This record gives sequence, C-alpha cells and structure tokens, in this order.
Amino acid sequence: MKIATIIAGAVIFLLLAIPLAVQVITAFRGPFLPFGVSTAKWSVENFVTLWSLRDDFWAVLGSTAAFVGGSTVLSLLMAFGLAWVTVRTDAPLRRVISVLVVVPFIIPPIVKAQAYLLMLSPESGVLNQLLRLLPGDLVIDPYSFVTMTVIQALTNVTFPYLMIVPILTSMDGSLEESARVSGASWAKTLRRVTLPMLWPGLLGVAVLTFILGLGSLEVPLLFGQESGKSIFALKLWNLISAGAGELPQYGLAAAWGCVFLVITTIAFVIYLRATRNAERRASISGKGFRPTVMKLGAWKIPVMLAILVFVMLTAVLPLFALFWSAITPYPIAFSFEALVTQTQFGSFGAVLADPEFWASLGRTLVIAGGSATIACVAATVLAYGIARARRTGWTKAVDLFASSSVAIPAVIAGFAMFLTFMVINPVIPLAGTIVALIIAYSYRVSIAYRAGYSATLQIRMELEEAALVSGASPFEGFRRIVAPLLMPTVFAVWIQMFVLGTNEFTLPAFLATPESRPLSVYMYAMISPRSAQLYQPDQGAAMALIFTLLVFAIGYGLQWVVSLFAIGRAKRRNPIPGVGTADVVPPADPVAPDTRAVAAQDLEERRQLARR
Amino acid sequence: MVVEAPARGIRTHPLDPKYRNRHPKVEHRMTHESGGGRLVVDGLEKHYELDGAEVPVVKGVTFTIEPGTFTSLLGPSGCGKTTTLRCVAGLENSNGGEISLDGNVLSTGTRHISPDKRDIGMVFQNYAIWPHMTVFANAVFPLQVAAGKLPKKEARKRAMEALELVQLDSYAHRPATALSGGQQQRLALARALAHRPKLLLLDEPLSNLDAKLRDTMRNELRSLQQRLGITALYVTHDQSEALSMSDRVAVMNQGRIVQEAAPRDLYYQPADRFVADFVGRVNMIPAVVRGRDGDGDALVEAFGARLVTPCPDTFGTGADVTVTFRPESVRWHEVAPDRPNLLPARVVRVEFLGEIVEYEAEILSGQTAVGTIVGRGAPLNSPSLGDPIFIELTPQACRVLAA
Repeated sequence: MKIATIIAGAVIFLLLAIPLAVQVITAFRGPFLPFGVSTAKWSVENFVTLWSLRDDFWAVLGSTAAFVGGSTVLSLLMAFGLAWVTVRTDAPLRRVISVLVVVPFIIPPIVKAQAYLLMLSPESGVLNQLLRLLPGDLVIDPYSFVTMTVIQALTNVTFPYLMIVPILTSMDGSLEESARVSGASWAKTLRRVTLPMLWPGLLGVAVLTFILGLGSLEVPLLFGQESGKSIFALKLWNLISAGAGELPQYGLAAAWGCVFLVITTIAFVIYLRATRNAERRASISGKGFRPTVMKLGAWKIPVMLAILVFVMLTAVLPLFALFWSAITPYPIAFSFEALVTQTQFGSFGAVLADPEFWASLGRTLVIAGGSATIACVAATVLAYGIARARRTGWTKAVDLFASSSVAIPAVIAGFAMFLTFMVINPVIPLAGTIVALIIAYSYRVSIAYRAGYSATLQIRMELEEAALVSGASPFEGFRRIVAPLLMPTVFAVWIQMFVLGTNEFTLPAFLATPESRPLSVYMYAMISPRSAQLYQPDQGAAMALIFTLLVFAIGYGLQWVVSLFAIGRAKRRNPIPGVGTADVVPPADPVAPDTRAVAAQDLEERRQLARR
Repeated sequence: MVVEAPARGIRTHPLDPKYRNRHPKVEHRMTHESGGGRLVVDGLEKHYELDGAEVPVVKGVTFTIEPGTFTSLLGPSGCGKTTTLRCVAGLENSNGGEISLDGNVLSTGTRHISPDKRDIGMVFQNYAIWPHMTVFANAVFPLQVAAGKLPKKEARKRAMEALELVQLDSYAHRPATALSGGQQQRLALARALAHRPKLLLLDEPLSNLDAKLRDTMRNELRSLQQRLGITALYVTHDQSEALSMSDRVAVMNQGRIVQEAAPRDLYYQPADRFVADFVGRVNMIPAVVRGRDGDGDALVEAFGARLVTPCPDTFGTGADVTVTFRPESVRWHEVAPDRPNLLPARVVRVEFLGEIVEYEAEILSGQTAVGTIVGRGAPLNSPSLGDPIFIELTPQACRVLAA
C-alpha cells in the first residue's frame, strides 16, 4: 500500500509541479525559449518589460478585477438565491427547479458563450428581439463590459450553486429554530445566525468561483476581442498567438502568469483558512435531520418570476438561439415568416456526415475518459494513503500540494502545459498529441483528491481493523472493505471529471492541434469568423446542440448505469442456500425498526446517492 | 409447576441440554477446537509520540487470563486499557513486554505477529459492521480470508452457526445496515466468533446501547462466553459491567494495573483509594490511628470521634489513614443504640431514586458540621430532611486504606 501511495504521489507531483516550474523558469529566462537555445540566459528582462508596459498592466489588472470580481459576486448571489429557494423554502416545483438549474452545467461553456453571442446580436438576437417588445428603447450591446460580466456570471452560476446546495442542506436547522424561539424574526435569524454560520463555507465557494472565472477563456475570447477591454485570460492568449511575422512572447506571457499565480495563491490561502473554519463550525447533524422550510407566502409570485427569468436566460433562450442559428443559413431575426420560408435542417445532417466531427468526438471521449481515470486512480490512492497516515509535516505538505490545483486557473495551467510539452518535445515528443491533452486535463486532480480524502475519513478505522482481526491481510482488507466503500465516491467524481473534460475548452485551446483537437475546439473553429476556411455558423450551432445533447446523454447515462449497478447489488443479495427464510418468523426485537422499511429506505438512499 | 424463564437471546446450542439441531447435516461443534486459550501479558509497555516527546500510555501491564475465563480491564478514560487491548489484538505495536496466547508469542517489544495471524476475534466499540455487505457476508468474512480460509460449504455452515448463536440466522441476507443497534452488536459478536478464535476481545461493546438493551446484552454476552468456554478480555469504564460479567477484574489507572481481583474482592477489599472510589460509591473519612483494642481492631479518630475498625498492622499509632465505607452499609437510627461507631448527624439531602433512597447527612461535632456521609437504603426506611439522626458505621464494613 505504501508503494502505491508513493507512486500516486509522484504522478500528481509531476502533473502539477513540472508545468509550474517550467512556467516560472520561462519567466526568468529568455529571450524566446528557456531551454535548448544557446542564447537563453537567466534574466528579469520579462518582468522589466512587464513594468515598462505598466499602463497596460494596470489596465488589465483593473479590468480583470472588475470582470472576474463582478461576475463572481453576481453568480454567487444568484446561486445562493436559487439554492435557498430550492432547499429552504416551500416554493412550488422545487424539484423541477433544482433539475432545471443544473441544465446549464452540462452545456459546455464555449457553447454557452456562443449562444449568448447569438442571443444578443443587436439585429437578429432573440433576447434583443424580446426586449424590443417591451416599452422603451432597450437594446443590449453584446460587447459592452457590463454585458460581458453578466454573461460570465450566467455561464458560471451552476458551479457555485452545486457547491452551496450541500452547505445549506447540511446546516442544522435546530440552530435557527432556537434563534426563532428566542424571539428573532426570519430576517434577523438569517442575518445573525444563518449567514455567520454559513460564512466560511460561502467564502470558500467564492474563492473557487473566482479562480474558475479567472481561468476561463471562453467568454473573454468571444466577447473580449471586440469589447476593447483586455482580460487576463485573453491577454495571455493574445501574447502567445502572435500574428504572422512576430515571435510569440512566451517569456512575457510567463511573467504575466507568475503575477496572477501569486494572486490566486493568496486566494487559495483564504480558501484554506475559510474551509478550515468551515470544518470547525460544521454543524452537520445525524440522521433524520431536515432543514427548516421558510414559507414564501406572498413572495411566491416574484420568486417564481425571478426563477423563470433565470431559467429562460440560462437554458431556454440559449438553446433556442442555437437551434435558430442552426436552421437558418445566415443570421436573421426570428419571425414566423422566416420560420416558414428560410429554415432548413441540412446543417444537422452535414454535421453528422462530417468525418471530422466523429473523429473529434472520439478524441473528446478518449481524452476526457483517460484524464478522469488517471486523476481518479492516482488521487484516490494518494488520498487514502495520506488520510490514513499519521499526520506529520510531510503528510500535511503532500496534502496541501495535492489540493493545490484548484488554485491554478485553467488558462495558466493550459499555458504552462503548453510550454512544458514544447520544452520536452525534443526528448519526449508529445506536443500537440492526444496524450498531451490527457495529461493536461488531469491537472484538475485536486477535485478527485479532496473527494477521496473526505470519503476515506468517513470510513472509520474500525472497519479496516475488524477485517484485520478477522484474519484478512492488509491488502485483502483494502480490496474487500475499503475499495467497495470508496467506489461510489470514485464513480461520482469520475463522472464529474469526465463531464468537465468533455466541456473543456481552455486547455485544448492552448494545446490542441487540428490533428488532436477535441470537439469543443473544432466547434469553436466553425463558429469563429477568424478561422476563415472552417467558418460555418449554422453547422457550428448544430454541432453545439448535438454536443450538448451528447454530454447530457453521457453524463446522465453514466449515472444511470452506476445507479443500476448499485441497485443490482442491493438486489443481488440472494438467499443463502440452506437457510429457510419464509417459514422462519424473526424473533421480535423491541428496538428493531421494521427492517423491510429500513431496507427500502436504504435502497432509496443508494439511488439518490447514485443520482447525485 | 415451575416455568422456566426463556433464555432470551441465546438460541439452543450444541452445548445446551435443550439443543435443537435445525441443520441436521451440519455437525454443530462450535467450540470443538477453539475452547479458550491462555493469554499472558507480561510487562507490556506502550508509548506514543507527541510533538517529538514520548508519552507513555501503558507502563508495564502484567496479567494472565486462564482458559475459558472472562477478565475485564476497568478504568477511567485515558488509563491505557483500550491501548492494552489493541496491543493484544496487534492493532498497535507494543514497545516492550511480551504477549503470548497458549504459549505462542504474539508480540515482544520488537517483533510483532500481524493481527490477521493471531487467532483472535474482536468486537469493536462501534461494532464496525461493514455496511456494504449483508449480515451473512459480514459473518462469513473471517472464514473466507487468508488466515481462516475454509471450503465454501464449510465456511457457510460455520457462519450460519455463528449467526444462529446470536439469534440472527433469520436475518442472514438482509443488508447489515438494516439491523438495529442491538442486532448489529450481536452480529459483531457472531463475526468475532465465526472462526472459532482462542481469544475474544471486546472493546466497550455495550457503550453505544441504551440502558435496558445494555442489561440484556450483558447477560447474553456472559452466558454465551460461559457456554462456549472461550477466553474473553473485556475493556470497559463501566464498573457495573465489569463487576457483573467478569471472573476477574483488573482496575487500571494511568497506565498501570492497580488491582486485579475477583469482582467481590475488588468491591469489598479495594487495594487503595482509587479503586475504592472508582468501583462503586464510597464514603472516605480521613482519620488518624490512635491505638488498638483487645481484638486487634484499631481505634481511629475521625470527625472528632473515636471509631473502631479492622485495620492492617502496617498502620501504626499516629498514622494518617482513610476509612472507607460503602453507602449501602451505612445504618441510621433515631435513637442511639448501645453500639460503637455512632456519629450524631443531621440529614441535609434525601433523594428518591426508585428502588433505593440516597441521603446525605452532616456529621455534627457539637453544633458544627465536620463532614458528610452518604447513605443508601430502602425507600420505606429513609430519614426525612432535617432530622437529627445517628449514623452507624458497623466496624466489619469499615476498611482502612492509606491516606
């Protein structure tokens, strides 16, 4: 077991440490390339350049702070409101809402960004069309800074929502009830008890949302070029995708990356402190616990309206805009006349007939599956080893390091991986291959590590010790006791990482070549007017829809398979031969609950667990 | 006509005269080769590392458990009793001393046989029932793994036998999580017994059950252990569990065994103040030896009065001692009879506890209170609050310990 832990630790170390080291070295070495070039030498030239362009630097920093900070606050507010409504109120159709809210999660961000672009088109965009129906002369400018921020918030809102829901669900309602009994109103209870209690957890969510927003390239890439404001992710992208005749400024980009790594490290430290406090304040109570439900009363209608607007904005309108774009040959405003005369469904057929579509779909599945597998296996083994080891400075350091990839924005990870594969290419020619993408995608290993760690902690030591004293060797104990108990978590994380992988755009944007590009990048090429020869907006939109459907089908299909597996296992408890059950009336045990009811409940819980 | 009380929990068993074989083809000899082993723990030492410093937890614990007997390790939390048990199980590696079972050395300070090769069964405090398995799968596990591997049929037979022993055979293919607390406890016991170990280790197994169930399980556990004749080592902080179930009780404090004795001896002849106080309730009266009377009993001065008490010769005149006296041995009178060891007192607290009444009396010297004595007695015969009474400490019930 020890050797396996060390191997897993080494894999994760290589995965995270080498790219970051290469990036830092690149920042301090130059010009052009840090290795294998005779003119390369150590220097702080890149930082000097960065400082000499300080007006630009401050502008980027300011607009990034406004953009990422604004969208983080906005998406947190929306996520908290939604989570509160679905978990803590008696709003009608709560279950339906909680499903609808998660729908945007399975729409790949690049598809969402494109859908918003279509929705907001001043002439033909469906949202602007709707606004024209209202009195007043409202037209949303898609390229304004505020629009961009709001869209970023809408694109990322599902992530904080999914993190806030468990925080709200696990809160012990009796704490609030005691405040209510002491005479506090709902509002006062919220302000004096609920929010202070949730604060550390929410701060953690805020930091992660911030880092996610900082790292995602989709919205800045689609909206930012035209808006004139340079966001960090876009800045990095522009620095290395130099125009013809110029050298890409790797050194300068690496210097930029270092500056932002410092910022995210600070955010990460805040996150660690927040979550540590959250653990200390955790008030997760035992069984049979239900959070108290707030009665909406007259507020029901405005709340439902707000949710309707949200669902329209995040799911219905984007999907409609994509669909409309897919069935019209060029951007035209929606009208019933156009619906009758202009529409054509050839684009779907064209996508399905495109061999490159199938090839990139295959690559997407291989890359997402491969990286999810690597990350889950390595992370689970390491998490088990660390969680079970005696806590020393060494294990604490490993723990911190393995959790640290959440602090690396995707755009920096993509860039650092890109540099790394370029640097090692003469020795290990991986640059631009599918293998490189699999390795790069695996950088999100911390998700699996944290999940594996807390899952291991939940398996009490006694369960393993019981196996030992029963005569099982440590390996047998792991195989027959620990592994089956960890499996549900590992499966759930695998599915999560797989869906993340299929949605991924930022990393392959830096790393993929036309031979290795996954579907998200191929689709971007079709919808981006810059890629002249591939530009096919209707096919791009059709592909985005098919892509979304596929991700949906895969994600839910996998969960369905897993839940079948879990239920099957529960059912497979065959009667043991030689034991009559029908004729034996179990002796009445006064404290025993109705075992059949308990078994049914258990089965239901397993189903729900699998569904999650 | 004498109606026999049903032996609840223990289904008829091969060793039972009223045994009813429900699996005629299966030969039921649960104990044929297990029986009990003889456990010898000699000078066990264990220390933990804490911030670089070594903190001793077990300091030279020595005891022997004869085959087929039930020994409890009793002590407050942190006294090292669980650590001792875990060292015997092999879940902790001791730092010194020797542990042997039936002459096989399990552990010395440097060499340790791993737990899976020790031929023991263990019941954990939280039962440690594997939640992803059925009841049967839990019970059959020890018979499937390397150390106890048996042919499938035989393993199944023995697992069912163990389940039958704890009355869970009809639950065999339920998910283990569908059991109630008491049933999980019994399953843990069945699992610990399934591979017929020489030694059964129990780590506070009853502490998670509610009071009534605890009493039932206590009886079941004890009679099961006696029927099977298995050697048992039981760890608990509950003195009533230890006293009621054990053949021998070892009281531990701060990593050492302070006294090892049969339950009655432990209760009536505690070796020191710690044992007297920890096992049962006790009045402790500081006193000074003033002399001896003709029968060899000592005259001690306590509360400004003279008391007669049996006293070891080791305490000479002038020695500071503690006179201990169990509350249930305290007698009280409204009028002083003509007997020794009578103290005037006033009742300051009377508490009705159901089957008994507990009262507290201030011992008076003139009009000033010089100490208190707690007494217990039948509800029908209890003093009333504020009554002036006389407390009698019968000499035979007094025990003198070092101060």
